[in-house]
Amino acid sequence: MLGLESGLILAIIGAAAAVLLAGIGSAIGVGTVGQAAAGVVSEDPDKFGSTLILQALPGTQGIYGLLVGFLILQRIGLIGGSPVSLTVEQGWSFLFAALPIAFGGLVSAIYQGKTAVSGVYLVAKRSEESGKAIIFAVMVETYAVLALLMSIMMLFGIAV
Amino acid sequence: MGIARMNKVYLLAHQADKEHVLSALQQSGLLEISDITGTEEAEGWVKSLARDQEQEALQELEGKLAEVRFNLDFLNRYHPVKKGLLDDFLAEKKSITAGEMERLAAGWADISSKVFAAIKTIDEKLLQIRNEETHLQNLQQQLLPWRRLPVPLEQLQSTPAVTIELFALPVNSADKFRSELAETGAAYALEQVEYLRGEIYFVLVAHHSDAETVRNVLKRFDYVKHTFPELTGLPEELLAGVEEDLHKLAAKQEVVRQNIAELAQYREQLLYYLDYLTVLREKRQAMENLGRTASTFVLEGWIREADVKKLKHLLADVSDSVAVMVREPEPGEAFPVLLENKPLFAPFEFVTKLYGAPSPYGVDPTAAFTPFFVIFFGIALTDAAYGLVLSLVAVLGLMKIKGENMRRLLKIIFACGLSTVVFGWLIGGWLGFQVLGAPLYFDSPSDPMRLLVYSLGLGNIDIFWGMKLKLIHLVRQRQYFAAFADVILWYGLIIGLLLLIVPAAATFGKYLAIISAVGLILTQGRAQGSIMKKFFSGVLSLYNITGYLSDILSYSRLLALGLATGVVSLTVNTMAGLLKGHPIGYVAMLIIMAGGHVFNLAINALGAFIHSSRLQYIEFYNQFYEGGGKHFNPFRIQTRHIEIRPDGLQHK
Repeated sequence: MLGLESGLILAIIGAAAAVLLAGIGSAIGVGTVGQAAAGVVSEDPDKFGSTLILQALPGTQGIYGLLVGFLILQRIGLIGGSPVSLTVEQGWSFLFAALPIAFGGLVSAIYQGKTAVSGVYLVAKRSEESGKAIIFAVMVETYAVLALLMSIMMLFGIAV
Repeated sequence: MGIARMNKVYLLAHQADKEHVLSALQQSGLLEISDITGTEEAEGWVKSLARDQEQEALQELEGKLAEVRFNLDFLNRYHPVKKGLLDDFLAEKKSITAGEMERLAAGWADISSKVFAAIKTIDEKLLQIRNEETHLQNLQQQLLPWRRLPVPLEQLQSTPAVTIELFALPVNSADKFRSELAETGAAYALEQVEYLRGEIYFVLVAHHSDAETVRNVLKRFDYVKHTFPELTGLPEELLAGVEEDLHKLAAKQEVVRQNIAELAQYREQLLYYLDYLTVLREKRQAMENLGRTASTFVLEGWIREADVKKLKHLLADVSDSVAVMVREPEPGEAFPVLLENKPLFAPFEFVTKLYGAPSPYGVDPTAAFTPFFVIFFGIALTDAAYGLVLSLVAVLGLMKIKGENMRRLLKIIFACGLSTVVFGWLIGGWLGFQVLGAPLYFDSPSDPMRLLVYSLGLGNIDIFWGMKLKLIHLVRQRQYFAAFADVILWYGLIIGLLLLIVPAAATFGKYLAIISAVGLILTQGRAQGSIMKKFFSGVLSLYNITGYLSDILSYSRLLALGLATGVVSLTVNTMAGLLKGHPIGYVAMLIIMAGGHVFNLAINALGAFIHSSRLQYIEFYNQFYEGGGKHFNPFRIQTRHIEIRPDGLQHK
């Protein structure tokens, strides 16, 4: 039975923050790239494939956020088990474990989106260089991956 | 293997043989032509040459190209071919010989100009139809509000006795208008004909003597006057006429559309003709790089050393009077870069080229990074079932697809798929399940620290491998001291520091690290002038250890990406699992499973590919790579719709 334990609530806030903030970042990133890509494709429909890949790139942060949120729910027994009872300290630990991907994801997705928009313009002018445009955008992704890594390590480290 | 050896070639021949020589070169695709007039070394004798320009021929070609492109654009706009996402890749090119093409080209040219003429008439007809249509539609809009008027329009003209006005008023001012008009006491009749889209349509008949009064009232309102000076008859009947005319126009349009459909049968020939003209234009453009005198021409270019013999044979067959001079590149002279690798590694040149060309005097990284690339991809995806799917898709693609670049990518995907199967089996799962029992080696999601250590370890090996390439390169260039100071000492320092963790070898590690560090301090500043500067640059160079550290840590992404795939699979399976127990639930469960896993595979395979690439470009290349080369781009036949085979050698 899900009681009103503050430890549990804190952990759930953590899960929500991870999905919410990283998801917002990805939505903004994917959205801005999509706008630029649509403009380019209106001129040259053949560039759909390479611009679509660029648009997909800032979407991963949202997935990373979902992943951390899911892991938290699983660790605290809201999925596939019964809710465990958490101390307030454990609750805070889960909340803070979610923060790296929540904020790292939010900001990196927005900036990756901006980089990818420039990449779309690069593809518009020189379609043969789409690989380079992708690499530029992936450079930003590194920090989302590192944030994800830290969130996961912290989650696995918290004793329940 | 690696970067191909190139030779510089000069050809000297008669103008009369120019067409044949260039055609043979274009068909063989052996030679990259450089602009001879731009070279400094040839200045002495190039001065006496004029730039070979055939502007007129080129312009004529451009004209024909514009015509074909216009034809194709028109057909694509009015009669587009439906094609699937993959059709571009699967399309079979028509294969003909160069000679056959020459024979067919005249026919294609006829078709192109015929189609062009036909399109011009059609275009005019379409414009006419469109104008007429707009006119009729406007008329329809104008007449629509008056369709209930039971009086022929010509009778609604003012007479000496009465003034007649047709107008529309916004509905909210109609009442006010009525009352103000009544207040004037004038002799008039006001009839509401229609209420349409917020406007009321009135007919106002006033006695001539009151016309001015009535108009003054009207002027105070926001009214729109309607007149039909050129129309006669009942509005109802006129509207029916317009309707009929529109139908007739639609029929006309249908006929034109059929005409276009008939023209569309020539699309294929037009595409071939486009290819033919493109090939010709490239030949003409290549001619601009030649030097010429009144009766000879000179061509300068680069060729693979191994192809020199082939070129000489080829030219001997074309003409008896072509002089060929070949020389090796002078020291430091930049030559175009052609990567050459064993068949096993050649597909991965795709990844190398994505980044750019290495310096002609640098190292081809392809074969060196291939195993790492494949392993990294496998760890970053870590799901055996996904790996199987990727490999199967790649095999299917290889059976169907002809394009060289696409085939290379598919071969990479095949290898990476196999690697994913292996790593999925060892440390991951199958679609997020452990169908074959626990993973053979260990379960990475429940022991991430272990995978992190392995990831960093692999990264370390990758970077040591990169340093090894630098070492070999320096030794080959006989820079033995640089090899020792810039690579061996770094090896010593890093290995020494790593050994500190191993208790048994800690002391050895300590001394190794100290000796190497001292060596680095003494050698790394050797380019500097004064002793003090040498010393400080040496000390500062130790700071590079942080760069090394961050390079290694970057490989932790392998763990993160692998876990991401696993956990998203788990999420999909859990969500699907919530639905079981009901017949409809099972269907929904299957849909969620299929959609979720396809999505997960697509997004994470893309991630695995680009992150594996990135680890090579940024971390691995950092150790040894010199960029700045230019890819070898031979003068060759480049077509999209026909494949042109060289036809024997009948030009002699």
